[in-house]
Amino acid sequence: MDKDLLRQTLSYHGQSLFAHLKCEQSENPDFKAIEPDLSKRLRAQTLGRGRLEKLEQFIARKADILFAQSWKSNAPVEYVLEDEAEEPYAIMPPLEQFMEVSFEERRNLLYRDMERGDIVIGRINSIRDFGFFVTLICMGGGLERDIEDLELTALCPLRDVPSNGNHDDPLSYYQMNDLIRAGVKDIDRYHEKITISLQPSSLATNLVSQKLGVLSKDDLPLHYSLRVANDNTETYERVLEGTLGYSNPLNVEYLLGKIGISDTQPPSLMRGLQSKHFLEEDFATTIRKKQSASWALKCVRIGVDHFKSGRYVEAMNEYNKALEIDTNNVEALVARGALYANKGSLLKAITDFELALESCPTHRNAKKYLCQTLVERGGQLEEEEKLVTAEGFYRKALALDDSFPDAKEALRKIELLIQKSLKLREEMAAREAEKAKNVETSAEKLRKILKEEKRKRKRSSSSSTSSSSSSDRSSSSHRKSKKKKRKHRRSSRGGKRQQRVSSRGNWSAADDEEEWYPAPPNTSASFLDPKSSRYRSFDVPNRTEEHSQHYSKHRSQTHSQHSLPSVSTNAPDNRGRFEDDPFDISPLRAECSKGKGICDKTGDGEVNGREMEASRGRKKSQECHFGPQEIPRSSEKDKNSRTSSTSSEHSSKSSRNDLPSQSRISTYRRSDSGRYGITERDKEEENRGIRRSDGGDNRSSPYTSRNGKSSAGGSQKKELPSNLLDLFSQIAQFEKEKCKPQK
Amino acid sequence: MDSFVTPGSMEAISSVYLTSAGKRDGDTETDTSREMKTHFRVCRFIMETGVKLGMRSVPVATACVLYHRFFQCVSVSLYEPYLVAMSCIYLAGKVEEQHLRTRDIINVCHRYFHHSSDPLSCDSEFWDLRDSVVQCELLVLRQLNFHVSFQHPHKYLLHYLLSVKSLVNRHAWSRTPVAETSWALLRDCYHGTMCVRHAPQHIAIATLYLALHSYGVELPVGQREWWQVLCEDVTKEHIDAIISDLLHLYDMEAKWT
Repeated sequence: MDKDLLRQTLSYHGQSLFAHLKCEQSENPDFKAIEPDLSKRLRAQTLGRGRLEKLEQFIARKADILFAQSWKSNAPVEYVLEDEAEEPYAIMPPLEQFMEVSFEERRNLLYRDMERGDIVIGRINSIRDFGFFVTLICMGGGLERDIEDLELTALCPLRDVPSNGNHDDPLSYYQMNDLIRAGVKDIDRYHEKITISLQPSSLATNLVSQKLGVLSKDDLPLHYSLRVANDNTETYERVLEGTLGYSNPLNVEYLLGKIGISDTQPPSLMRGLQSKHFLEEDFATTIRKKQSASWALKCVRIGVDHFKSGRYVEAMNEYNKALEIDTNNVEALVARGALYANKGSLLKAITDFELALESCPTHRNAKKYLCQTLVERGGQLEEEEKLVTAEGFYRKALALDDSFPDAKEALRKIELLIQKSLKLREEMAAREAEKAKNVETSAEKLRKILKEEKRKRKRSSSSSTSSSSSSDRSSSSHRKSKKKKRKHRRSSRGGKRQQRVSSRGNWSAADDEEEWYPAPPNTSASFLDPKSSRYRSFDVPNRTEEHSQHYSKHRSQTHSQHSLPSVSTNAPDNRGRFEDDPFDISPLRAECSKGKGICDKTGDGEVNGREMEASRGRKKSQECHFGPQEIPRSSEKDKNSRTSSTSSEHSSKSSRNDLPSQSRISTYRRSDSGRYGITERDKEEENRGIRRSDGGDNRSSPYTSRNGKSSAGGSQKKELPSNLLDLFSQIAQFEKEKCKPQK
Repeated sequence: MDSFVTPGSMEAISSVYLTSAGKRDGDTETDTSREMKTHFRVCRFIMETGVKLGMRSVPVATACVLYHRFFQCVSVSLYEPYLVAMSCIYLAGKVEEQHLRTRDIINVCHRYFHHSSDPLSCDSEFWDLRDSVVQCELLVLRQLNFHVSFQHPHKYLLHYLLSVKSLVNRHAWSRTPVAETSWALLRDCYHGTMCVRHAPQHIAIATLYLALHSYGVELPVGQREWWQVLCEDVTKEHIDAIISDLLHLYDMEAKWT
């Protein structure tokens, strides 16, 4: 029993209550313990209270409940800042106002009840150098009092005024009649002096969230605004009923929570209604669960009868009914699982059993059936050759039930099987590895053959090609990638490009490659403008202009400088398709080769990257060579799979390391032809190239076939860097020789 | 209660109940007091069931008011009060938007009368009971002319509590369980007909008054008393009358349970 509370009560009521208490609570050990203390402090009965005998008797009788320790309020002691705008309940003006409590009384009460850390709101009435004075108009934070007319003044000293960064003097921020929210720092009740502070540290912990400082009228607490509005014209009742929060149907629940009374374990003074006497199993939810379980079981029993008689459909219906009544009913799940297993839906059965075991891990039947079903399922998987999965199932079954003989046997068998299959696979892998090597070498051989053929053709046509190709070769794989790109472009553009590429490819390739890799001895470097090539390589979308500029510049210089803009622009977009080159042949050519290279570089992204590194130089030459070839190829291939075509080109190029001259030859040839007035053809080829994207063009059908082959061969072989470099250097030299006579 | 209510035995049960009560207390027992006893017990039944069903205070109060109002119009000998009570609970759940399932009501009530029994199985008895409850609900509705929505003191009491709280020193408030006591008193007052004889605001003020008075909490005095302010038309006599009714209920408990 709460001693203090009792004391308070007794002092209020007096001796007679004490007498009653002694009488009624004589058996109460708690009371007996504190009785001696109480009797000491008791003063004489004060008169004029109109005490009811009955009431005292009632208090005495219920004292053990009324004064129980556990009876205390559970409400949060702190004031929880509410969103007053929501009005979950009716916020009322202070009762003092309605009661018309006297001035003195109110002031005394305020001093009695105001504490450090409270929030006050007031208006500045004077600003001095040591601080400012505030006339309090109301309290914030839960203490709703009518204090405005009390005209209490509080001082906020200078040190408690936080400095605003902009102002030198913090006080200058404040003006007369500003509304201020502040925390109470100190109260001198004797002298009736209140000191306030604007520092957040002065606030009580539960109020810290409130912002101190200047307020606007909207920020004033609702109880104050209502008080001002009301001003003794309305009654409490009318104000209450006029509030929106009053009509909120949930205000009872809300307020119960705010005050701290539980509605699920409600307090009562009736002996029979004490919540602690209610048994849990008498509650509705508990009974319902039990009932559902028993109803479900009934259904399951009927279902099992059906099952035994073979009426599977009815059995399933009963099981489902049972599970509707009581989800996750163990028996129903097990029975249904068995039914599923019998019908052959093993997976569903397994799900049901596992669910059942989750709720009841010791269910014997569930375990047994689950084991059996797992083994069966394992057997099914075995037949489907999914040995590892099957093994997993067997293991699971064994984990459940160690002694299950079928499972053990099955597990053993399957382990053997798996070992066998593993061995087989190893052998096969070894064989494949060998094959791969063989395959590679055969692909290489093929490439060599093709290159030779090309070389022959090229040599017959132009020596420049070979030189260019050699120069290309000598360049890094980077160039090759470029070439590949160019090839793409070429393929789309057609032979024109090829021609250009052939001449340009080498050089532009060389150019491009120069940017990416340390340039090999650049035989055709004189024709190349590093800038332009750089542009081309890096600035694909803008190539058109730059290239045209470059090309016009370098046309004289470099055939090889392809009018890469178009090519380059094409490259990222559509390797397989080359757009009409607005520039004339030589720029186009330059574009072709460069474009291709650039395409390779930029367009192919990762793919190119790989292959570029592998065989840039090769690519370039190859690009030149395979320009026409690649055009059909690319056009043949899915446009979207340009990468693949590029890669194939690259690979083909790489594979054509051995045959750089071939590509060069072709490119040179083309470029030569283009240079020497094969405009029409070039255009034709361009057009064709454009059309290529739609369908294979036969411009370079011979090359196509070759390209195809070489690309096929090349795709396998992608990376032989060291070899490439050697080859490139050789080629470069060769091309030098070739180029010189040409020039 | 010897047996659970069934449609056929409604009258039999109530007669058994009432006569046994009569026999127990002897002939000095008047009909009215017997009735009051019945009503007290049935209301106790309603409140207990409400707790076990997880009903909030206001729906429980509505159920009790429905019950009292129903039997103000009809004689208790005509209808089985416990069945009526069950229907009142069901109806109150609907009115106050805390819908209860008949299955739960029947389960809890069955267990109230047959302690530690197994839940009813899904058989004809169960369905008969359910039918009875639903039929009786319609009966109650018609008897009350479908006026089933009431103003309860709960809302008023809570608002009054907040207003009064601001008058009191916070520490004094936190150590004095005025809120719990007044809420308990309010809930308990539904055992009797006083809940329908007095205005909700008056009941709220009376319970608050009693709670404050019990603990000796002194409120400031102004031109007007706090209770006068909270409700204009309440007088001290009203408050006293309500308090005396309330205390009488506690005496009844001591006598009859």
